[in-house]
Amino acid sequence: MVIANLLDVVTGNEFDHDATDTAEEKSMRSVYRVLAFLLAIEVLIQAMAIAYAIAGLGKWVADDGGVLNKQVVDSENASFPGVGGFATHAINGTMIIPILVLLLLIASFFAKVPGGVRSAAILLLLVALQVFLGIFSHSVPYVIVLHVLNAFAILGIAIIAGRSASVAAEPARTSVAV
Amino acid sequence: MTAERRRLLIALIATVALLAPLGYYWQASLLPDRYSVMDMGYADYGGGPATMTHHELMGRRVASLVADPKRPADVRVTLTARKERFRLASGEQVDGYTVNGTSPGPVIRAVQGQLVEVVLVNESVPSGVTLHWHGVDVPNAADGVAGVTQDAVRPGKSFTYRFVADHVGTYWYHSHQVSHAQVQGGLLGGLVVTPPKTGPDVRDELAMLHVYDGKPTINGSTGDVLVDAADGETVRVRVVNTDNGATSVWTSGSPFTVMAVDGYDLHEPTPVSDRAVRLTAGGRVDLQVTAPARIELGGARALIIGQGARAVPQPTEQLDLLTYGTPAPLGFDPSSPERMFTYSVGRRPGFLDGRPGLWWSINGHLFPDVPMFVVEEGDVVTMHIDNHSSQTHPMHLHGHHAVVMARNGVKATGSPWWVDSLDVANGDSYDIAFVADNPGIWMDHCHNLPHAAQGLVAHLMYAGLTEPYRVGGDAANEPE
Repeated sequence: MVIANLLDVVTGNEFDHDATDTAEEKSMRSVYRVLAFLLAIEVLIQAMAIAYAIAGLGKWVADDGGVLNKQVVDSENASFPGVGGFATHAINGTMIIPILVLLLLIASFFAKVPGGVRSAAILLLLVALQVFLGIFSHSVPYVIVLHVLNAFAILGIAIIAGRSASVAAEPARTSVAV
Repeated sequence: MTAERRRLLIALIATVALLAPLGYYWQASLLPDRYSVMDMGYADYGGGPATMTHHELMGRRVASLVADPKRPADVRVTLTARKERFRLASGEQVDGYTVNGTSPGPVIRAVQGQLVEVVLVNESVPSGVTLHWHGVDVPNAADGVAGVTQDAVRPGKSFTYRFVADHVGTYWYHSHQVSHAQVQGGLLGGLVVTPPKTGPDVRDELAMLHVYDGKPTINGSTGDVLVDAADGETVRVRVVNTDNGATSVWTSGSPFTVMAVDGYDLHEPTPVSDRAVRLTAGGRVDLQVTAPARIELGGARALIIGQGARAVPQPTEQLDLLTYGTPAPLGFDPSSPERMFTYSVGRRPGFLDGRPGLWWSINGHLFPDVPMFVVEEGDVVTMHIDNHSSQTHPMHLHGHHAVVMARNGVKATGSPWWVDSLDVANGDSYDIAFVADNPGIWMDHCHNLPHAAQGLVAHLMYAGLTEPYRVGGDAANEPE
């Protein structure tokens, strides 16, 4: 019985949006929606941060005579515009995004979003994969290509999850795109 | 129970099932405010006898492990540490730390066999300071690790270090309190031990490499450094890497001969051209060249000896110290060790003192649940170091020099290659051996110092010792 219900929750089957939605469920749906869109925004921030860092590094080396070697990298205090992008990318990617996706999964248990638990669970797996790919690329550089592709997958699924929560929040107007 | 309530209950159960293990691991990772490194992790006897190690029972005190207290000092130096904004030798302003008003601090020079006595005075470093004698196998009480061999020296206080400089070579000193910040900020200097005068003088130059605020320097100067020398003159250049990452060193104008690594002379080294030598973070190489020559230091700066040598780009090949020089007796037999340890560096998700992240692991465990390598005095010890953590780690064992036996299973065939700082690249493994001949509690850690602060620290401990020092506590000891 419990397992059957758990399965329903996990697969997002057991949703009948009508007047039975409580205020709590509606607010949890908002939480879910906000977290999903935050996750999508974080993917964009990640791309911007790393691109800014690499552009700043390029100019520093090409125009300003900067020398990048392991000593400078590991001194962690090289200074050029954009250098903070490396740290931003690392902290976002290994701490903030994993926490966000964990919170999204928890919110999905309470928010009656169609396919909400499934999307959140997939996002959790993809984020774990993303961290692994990012770190593994230090040893095997071409792995970064998969890291980039996976970023698009996370972005897409996070947007879909956020939109399904938006739609679910307005059951009377399900055909209207948000 | 209505369907709604049942759903809510299931959601709660799922949440608890997700969070409970996380909460457990978070809570388990929290460090006490004050702890002894001797209580950290679990004892690893390396296949040797499981000796009594409980330090609250009677044992020999670390503070008793000193140089002969009755012997007068031959070299006396007072080093005063300050936290301040200062000028590099080349003029740039830097926020950091100075020793006697400059960074790097004064070079301490001793002749082999002299007793060196250094009084460290903390004038204005709020977090406290210590001095660690990197590469010198000092008595344990002089090792300078806050919370392990002493308390950090608070502002206005002082501490005296005494040791016999019984081994020639190139060394350096640096703070081992909040070391990831203080070393980066410049609380360091050079130490050179030379043999008693025998033959004619060989020109001897020291090149301390340090990155201040992202600016690579030689002896505290940005840019190239000029050394006057007549054509044909032989010059020994002692290169010290005080940074967190390795650098490549190569020459133009003259081949170089690697005379010593980490303070230990190589046996029958030969001149090298078209190759670079990799200098580990914390490590030293002594190179001999004939003027005119340029010593290229990582491509960011050069030591220019005499006139006329032209810069060449970095050689693509590196000198392999595993096959450089010729074999010589080691002075001990590593083939039947009393202890065989493994130091396997990985990386995994988890909590470090409550902080979630991807942290370095040692033998699969996260700090502080790491092995304590236990030995007895006189043991022959081998250690298999491997690294599958995605990044390079310059591993530094305090108080001992170890000889490299093999890399990735390939035996060393060159000169005995003694190290105190060994660069272990991702995917590589090394087998090293040493004699446990210096009783104490010794850090065995990554000298990319932010990595040490991220938990890549273990200790080597001799059985039957005790020490009163604690990490944290009133002394606010924070060795990493």
